[in-house]
Amino acid sequence: MLILTTFLTNCSGVKTLEIFKTEVEREKLNLDKPTPLELENLRWIIITSNNAEEVFKKLEEQGIDPVLWGLTDKDFELLAKNFARIRNQLKITNDLLDQYKEYYETETDKKDK
Amino acid sequence: MFGSIRIFMIGIMATAVIGGGVYVMKLRSDNAILKANAIKMESAITEQQELITKQKEDFQEILAANKKMNQLVSVLKKDLEDLDKRFNKKNRDVGKLAIAKTKSIERITNGASALATRCIEIASGSPLTEKEKNATKKSEINSECPSIANPNYIPY
Repeated sequence: MLILTTFLTNCSGVKTLEIFKTEVEREKLNLDKPTPLELENLRWIIITSNNAEEVFKKLEEQGIDPVLWGLTDKDFELLAKNFARIRNQLKITNDLLDQYKEYYETETDKKDK
Repeated sequence: MFGSIRIFMIGIMATAVIGGGVYVMKLRSDNAILKANAIKMESAITEQQELITKQKEDFQEILAANKKMNQLVSVLKKDLEDLDKRFNKKNRDVGKLAIAKTKSIERITNGASALATRCIEIASGSPLTEKEKNATKKSEINSECPSIANPNYIPY
């Protein structure tokens, strides 16, 4: 009877339950940076009242439809400035992203990429 | 009578000896705790110092990043001002110039447009070419955005 009781209780009694809490660091986002743009160059044609006929004739000779989208000199200036502003914003955003990556991603993370 | 006193005295002495022993053991135990506390304190101080050093480094890094971004914003602003000057310098009228010298203005416009296109590519993260990196003369630079295209160019 005593032997049976010993086997059933396994000699040791109730053990204290131990719960471990280990801090697990949040997974790194580590997204790849977007692929840099590769843009096509476009051709500007200046038309004045003096050369309009010549310009359209040349277009036809080159097999291009004799139609042009026009801008005044002032609008051309605005377009150039708008593009410069977009470019600046793109550069700032891109560099800001680099700064964040540099600050929050360790050397190991950068090497892993 | 003497027997009772003797037993009583032995009892007192035994109690004193046991009490002393217990007291010494308690002192030893306290001493061990104090030593452990001292080690923990030293470790905590070292950890705190490491933390403070790290915080200082982080702060320096934040300052450097801020400075870098402010510098970038200011050079980009200058590029934009330079573009404005190219259109309006000394009451320049690009429209009238284009009527008078159509072909040359067309050539200049197309050249500038190609440079501006490259500027957008660089701004989007395209790596600089060796030619762009090594440009130091006005004739070698990307005049549309020298601040981001030609890091070694110093305006003169």
